[in-house]
Amino acid sequence: MDGIINSEIMIIILAAGIRLATPYLLAALGEMFVQRSGVYNLGVEGIMMMGAFSGFYATLQLGSPLLGIAVSLVVGALMGLLMALVSVTFKAEQGISGIGLYMFGWGLSGLLFRLYVGGITSVEGLKAVKVPLLSSIPFLGPVLFDHNGLVYTAFLLVPVTGFILFKSSWGLNVRAVGNKPEAADTLGVSVVLIRYQCLIVGGMLAALAGAFLTIGQANMYADNITAGRGFIAIALVYFGRWSPWGILLGSLLFSLADSFQSMVQVLGINFPYELAVVLPYMVTIIALAISYGRVWAPAALGKPFQRGTRG
Amino acid sequence: MKKRVFSLLLAVLTLLALSGCGAKPTAQTPAPAPEAPKVEKLRIALVLPATVDDLAWGQSMVEGLKAVQKTMGEDKVEVAISEKLGGAVDAGSAIRQYATQGYDIIFAHGSQYQSVLTEIIKDFPKTTFAYGTGFTTHPNVFAYDPQAQEGGYLLGMLAALMSKSGIVGIIGPMESGDAVKYNYGIQQGVIAGKAEVKSRIAYTGSFNDIVGAGNMAKTQMSAGADILTGSSQQAVGALRAVAETKNAYWLSTDMDQSGIAPDHVLAAQVYNWEKIVKKIIELRKAGTLGGQHLTLSLADGTIELKYNAKLADKIPAEAKAKIEQAKKDIISGKLKVELPKK
Repeated sequence: MDGIINSEIMIIILAAGIRLATPYLLAALGEMFVQRSGVYNLGVEGIMMMGAFSGFYATLQLGSPLLGIAVSLVVGALMGLLMALVSVTFKAEQGISGIGLYMFGWGLSGLLFRLYVGGITSVEGLKAVKVPLLSSIPFLGPVLFDHNGLVYTAFLLVPVTGFILFKSSWGLNVRAVGNKPEAADTLGVSVVLIRYQCLIVGGMLAALAGAFLTIGQANMYADNITAGRGFIAIALVYFGRWSPWGILLGSLLFSLADSFQSMVQVLGINFPYELAVVLPYMVTIIALAISYGRVWAPAALGKPFQRGTRG
Repeated sequence: MKKRVFSLLLAVLTLLALSGCGAKPTAQTPAPAPEAPKVEKLRIALVLPATVDDLAWGQSMVEGLKAVQKTMGEDKVEVAISEKLGGAVDAGSAIRQYATQGYDIIFAHGSQYQSVLTEIIKDFPKTTFAYGTGFTTHPNVFAYDPQAQEGGYLLGMLAALMSKSGIVGIIGPMESGDAVKYNYGIQQGVIAGKAEVKSRIAYTGSFNDIVGAGNMAKTQMSAGADILTGSSQQAVGALRAVAETKNAYWLSTDMDQSGIAPDHVLAAQVYNWEKIVKKIIELRKAGTLGGQHLTLSLADGTIELKYNAKLADKIPAEAKAKIEQAKKDIISGKLKVELPKK
């Protein structure tokens, strides 16, 4: 036991919490659009793995993490399109097709890695960018303004997606499609088109979350690199009640619990490690369980749209 | 519908919380056996929890088998490998399949396979099975058991003698099996190396979350550790984080990981599986199908301490001499590295 939690330790915990929140935030904001439009995509984890691999591989081959991000966005869009095809056009049961997409992403990313990379290799990933002036603010500077570009992107997306969802006409259409698709349909809003768009955006953000893991954190790729983070992201959408600010809160809660327990272990504070490692999950499960009963959800969530019928 | 998703989600979350990492479905099935081999070929199968290229536990065994195959001749030895079989059920069916196909020796390379094996071995009394880390044997089962604490002790000494900050960071997967032995060795070695240096253990709760291990390494380093080590497949994530940090060094175990970070891996505890595999082959030839507990240790050269040649001049001669002495003492039995008492 090396001492108490002082301000230096606090900075480390908070800065790590911000960094750890990024993949959850990106994937959950994407899934928020998907669910707002009335579809739930349980394949987030699989899309993340594909994004993680493609971002890594493009960076390895092309030498630029920015190109890696671009490639992962394209791959994510394709994965979203696949989910849209299966669940919107073919109206497959969404839970099952999502799990299918997850397995597909896991298998394919592992296979491609074996075929085209073959062993553990590291890449030059994204570098931390200190925001001028802001990063020199005491305490807040190192916590908030000393991260790589994807971290800033994720946090900026919170107000941006909030604006799109609640203030833009497209956002209004998304919410209408997710709540009363038949009403939206009579008003001339294409339910199918909106759901396709949301699944593609969701896929891109999930892939970006995956790419963050490989080129923004680990700077390498290994099988099953996402390790369940995609499922946490889906839980955070529920936790955040389909709102960007709620998702932000949930992501930070989970990640800060995670960085806190890491530090507790590192400092040798007498606390069983088994409890420490499950702390973030426990906090999220408990919060989810408590909040679920009273929660509003998009009314048409999970129901394939068929013109002329009522959900 | 919403309820269903919700309960599904809760179930997945709970699973994640319990396992700390998540389940692994089968990704590969064993390759079908070629029909009736013409020459009298020794057929060896290997079942791995992770991948053949994990730069750790799995890969070290694969390299051992390949080395044996090379020295005995490719036409004399056949090696088949199934990977990503973390789950006992999937692994069990792969092992049974290999046994049915007439493989002579089947390596179930993980301590978690012990209980699966006990069910299978009765049906194949002529087949030799080997698993590890473990010590429980049967007439046709060898158990192999690396004394990870021995190399850990030497690496711990090195860490203490090399640390400038006075803090050695250990990143463990879970508190079980090999990892515990290794960490125990490191801790005792650190104390022996320099009494005032501290070692800190933190567990990620997962064997394969390289991102989590990387983040744990970053936390360790930001809290002062400058020499780090850790075991299992996830460790490469931590190694990578160390490699991105100035004046931070890594000590690897299971195999030499200096290949991916030549400027940051000081030394490695290397398992020499080739010798173990050869021994099992010879015992089988002599009619012993199993029943022996085979340890890997510094004494018989199945565990080696390997310095990274590129960083050799960074390690002071007296530190090396001190470690060399400890190695001799461990081999002669004068120095006993303690193990956790169960």
